[in-house]
Amino acid sequence: MAGAAAFRRSTRRVFRPGAYALSRALQHPERLLSSQASPDRGGVLGSELGLYPPERIRNFSIIAHVDHGKSTLADRLLELTGTIKKGHGQPQYLDKLQVERERGITVKAQTATMFYRHANNQLPASDQPDAPSYLLNLIDTPGHVDFSYEVSRSLAACQGALLVVDAAQGVQAQTIANFYLAFESNLSIIPIINKIDQPTADPDNVRAQLKRLFDIDPSEALLTSAKTGQGLSQVLPAVIERIPSPPGKCDSPVRMLLLDSYYDEYRGVICHVAVVDGALHKGDKIASAATGRTYEVLDVGIMHPELTPTGVLYTGQVGYVISGMRSTKEARIGDTLHQAKSTVEPLPGFKPARHMVFSGLYPADGSDFDALSHAIEKLTCNDASVSVTKETSTALGMGFRCGFLGLLHMDVFHQRLEQEHGAQVISTIPTVPYIFEYGDGSKVQVENPAALASNPGKRIAACWEPTVIATIIIPSEYVGPVIMLCSERRGEQQEYTFIDAQRALLKYRLPLREIIVDFYNELKSITSGYATFDYEDSEYQQSDLVKMDILLNGQPVDAMATIVHNQKAQRVGRELVEKLKKFIERQMFEITIQAAVGSKVIARETLSAMRKNVLAKCYGGDITRKKKLLEKQKEGKKRMKRVGSVDIPQEAFHELLKVSNSK
Amino acid sequence: MLRSAFPLVSHLPSHKPPPIRPRPPPVRPYASSAVSPPPPPPASAYVHLPFCRKRCHYCDFPIVALGTSASSLPPQSTHGGDVDDPRIADYVRLLLREVAATRPVSDDGVPLETVFFGGGTPSLVPPRLVAAVLDALRARFGLSASPEVSIEMDPGTFDAAKLRELVGLGINRVSLGVQAFQEDLLRACGRAHGLQEVHDAVGIVTACEGLQNWSMDLISSLPNQTEEMWEESLRCTVDARPTHVSVYDLQIEQGTKFGQLYTPGVYPLPSETDSANFYKIASKRLSEAGYNHYEISSYCKTGYECKHNVTYWQNRSFYAFGLGSASYINGIRFSRPRRMKEYAEWVQKLENGTWSHESGNSGIKDMAMDVVMLSLRTAWGLDVQSFSKTFGRSLTESLCNTFRPFVESGLVVAMDMERRALQPSDFELYLQHDGENGSRVAFIRLSDPDVDY
Repeated sequence: MAGAAAFRRSTRRVFRPGAYALSRALQHPERLLSSQASPDRGGVLGSELGLYPPERIRNFSIIAHVDHGKSTLADRLLELTGTIKKGHGQPQYLDKLQVERERGITVKAQTATMFYRHANNQLPASDQPDAPSYLLNLIDTPGHVDFSYEVSRSLAACQGALLVVDAAQGVQAQTIANFYLAFESNLSIIPIINKIDQPTADPDNVRAQLKRLFDIDPSEALLTSAKTGQGLSQVLPAVIERIPSPPGKCDSPVRMLLLDSYYDEYRGVICHVAVVDGALHKGDKIASAATGRTYEVLDVGIMHPELTPTGVLYTGQVGYVISGMRSTKEARIGDTLHQAKSTVEPLPGFKPARHMVFSGLYPADGSDFDALSHAIEKLTCNDASVSVTKETSTALGMGFRCGFLGLLHMDVFHQRLEQEHGAQVISTIPTVPYIFEYGDGSKVQVENPAALASNPGKRIAACWEPTVIATIIIPSEYVGPVIMLCSERRGEQQEYTFIDAQRALLKYRLPLREIIVDFYNELKSITSGYATFDYEDSEYQQSDLVKMDILLNGQPVDAMATIVHNQKAQRVGRELVEKLKKFIERQMFEITIQAAVGSKVIARETLSAMRKNVLAKCYGGDITRKKKLLEKQKEGKKRMKRVGSVDIPQEAFHELLKVSNSK
Repeated sequence: MLRSAFPLVSHLPSHKPPPIRPRPPPVRPYASSAVSPPPPPPASAYVHLPFCRKRCHYCDFPIVALGTSASSLPPQSTHGGDVDDPRIADYVRLLLREVAATRPVSDDGVPLETVFFGGGTPSLVPPRLVAAVLDALRARFGLSASPEVSIEMDPGTFDAAKLRELVGLGINRVSLGVQAFQEDLLRACGRAHGLQEVHDAVGIVTACEGLQNWSMDLISSLPNQTEEMWEESLRCTVDARPTHVSVYDLQIEQGTKFGQLYTPGVYPLPSETDSANFYKIASKRLSEAGYNHYEISSYCKTGYECKHNVTYWQNRSFYAFGLGSASYINGIRFSRPRRMKEYAEWVQKLENGTWSHESGNSGIKDMAMDVVMLSLRTAWGLDVQSFSKTFGRSLTESLCNTFRPFVESGLVVAMDMERRALQPSDFELYLQHDGENGSRVAFIRLSDPDVDY
């Protein structure tokens, strides 16, 4: 973020009005628009966009803890400006992915351009026909820390953010993380205390929290209810008055930031861009700073709220570009696109994706490797933050080792693979990148436990594991159990404060390994769902780590190997083995399931052989029933992975993911 | 615990001659169906007599429950002069019409070698009506010189006179549905008879002159059945000295009373391990008593295999008549309607000539699957050479490859022409050389349940 902030500082407010030879008459561009609410107009003329110099543009995003009302607020703003019709279109307009709607989260950035008249006095704009019109770009960003990479890209195109806090729930863990992201990006922050219509709303308390935690002046907070509409009319005026207009040189060659891209079957790659300097016209030749490739701008326009061609985008404006890119691979998110044949300084400072959680992804049916490969390729086109390398498992065949930003990211990636690409996936136990140092001084980073030799033949001198700083906010009565949970997870307390009379804030350094599986669920369950939790990456710490193998009939199953803390090996081993016993169906022979560290078996279960009922009476030679039974078993087999002679159902792999570290 | 998918089961040492001699390839060769001879015409007929006094709690077969009135056994009912239950008489008329409307597969009159009256409870049908059916079969298809004619009988539904009468008609094999030797278990199954009737029935059957061949049916894995009970049932069975024993494992079917009450493997049903153990115990006890375990659920004294059932395991064709019955003719399996009204309508269509089999054979893989599935039920096993002739080399190879790990683990036994077991390494060699060198694999069977390896 530091880089982005630096970029913003260095280029701040360099708008040169002279670049726009606009007559006085054109100071009121809204007259050219048919009305303030103009969703039904066929398009927006490029000449209209020209009437919005940077000083008439505001780029902002909304940040909030999950369920604090971000998407509803976005819907209301889109309605208020007539960008979408009230009651039309689906709620959570900007959350377009199924996974986003189902989980109530935002995963992919979206942008929407709105037009809004505003006069710099207290009178409503509707009473002032001469009030100037503003072009407002809402850049929707993911809220979860896993997506801070996406957030950083989106925030880099913004100058301000609406920090939405639920009036009853107050500041929550994600609020804190989001605030700091915005703060570090040097954005103007407009605090919005939302859902004030709730009976339990306590805006004064929330104001006090904002003051205590973020040093936000209580008078700055706007009180709204996106549900009833109360207070909403103050929001856009505040955006215009408090958020600076985008910096940028209007007379420079065009330079823009690639915010996101997606592939459209009919139109090819569509890039969301923020024009930082200059202007972009249809027909322009542009180049990618990352790849050096050049393209012709075939179409350009704004999202109003859908693709609306304008033929041009000016400095500070946000919109889309279609340029004949064949694959979204060419559209690297965070890349700088610029005028071809000119050398420009690439826009600085995107936090590179840091992969903290790794998991092997394998086709559920071994023969579907190509299909999975294709699905992953397509999805990674839209999600550059996933790292993908091919790997081969003796147990699962050909697959991929994928690196994710975090657990939610991994989950969402899975869900999108299945929902949007119909892929059937088996994933291995997620792992974190460990570092092992051997006696001879060599070091390896281990992203796949299977790759670590069980008996390396050389002494391991030291191991390191990544840690996180976790922020947990809970009602004070749950402090005891939460402290217990954190210490079970090898946590180290960093901070223990009260944010108000009822709520405590705990900060812990926790090994990432300890939170990637079921920490959040456990936390939620011991706090009756009241805890909120967020974390940021922290440094590596030295740890006593061992590789644990799972053996079926004496054969190690590489895809089930895991790295655990030495002291926990026994417990985790026993649990894994018990779980496997439950999910591996009995087969035609006895199966021993073992967990072993090196050559030492630490847990063992035996699964007795199975009976298949072929002994039922075969009435009058009617063998169809017996065939049905076999067909059923054959169906079952399809969901199996054969490891050596043992068939393992997919569920067994899924269930292993759930095995906790501590219980 | 069983070691085998199809825990079959011959207690014959593999060098001894097998109980069932294989016939020519049982399925129609597909590769050149235009030129190859059609499959042998049926020499077996199954006749469904669906009447029962009441439905047993595990049963989901097409039956007609007559009510308890039929359970009383007025001695005179077995003799002529009485008015038959119209439901039975009507059904038998329908059956006779079906027999008459069924065209024999071969014109040169291959006579029936086996007839099986199954149910239901065929012993509830007055012998006079059974005779009518037998006569109709004889008239339509012919009966061989010494056919096997079996009938299923339930304790409490016949007396010595009725049995004599049936034997007089030419019935020479009885399958007695005993199921269990515990009063409580019989009641729990919803059987229409008690233990005393079981003993009475065994007495009648063993005392019947002219009837040497009879079988006893048992069911294992009944609710609350213990190992002791099972041992007791097997002991009683051996003591009764039937020539044949069928041991079936209880299958919980949807829509039955048991289906509503119980979950397989969950108390009061025995666990899978216990069920498997019952199976092993049966195999052990019956083998000790001199019965050959010739098919997965069938045991017999030497020479007393059920010839009718053997046609099923050899995938040979057979006629079937009656409600819900399944026939296998010209490579086509067909199940008749399970409801009486629809069955009657179907018979009408058959008579009008407006019904024909849905066209087409089942797929080749399906047929191969039948052969594998059925032959692996038998101690004889799968005849690899004949399978290869019928289905081709490549399917045979892929089949053998499938068996490879199980030959290695001992679950499957590969044998040569002399039925000598091959070492896994020999089998491997055979696979690698496309069966051209080394010892030839002639048979594949599943290993016995009691062997530890």
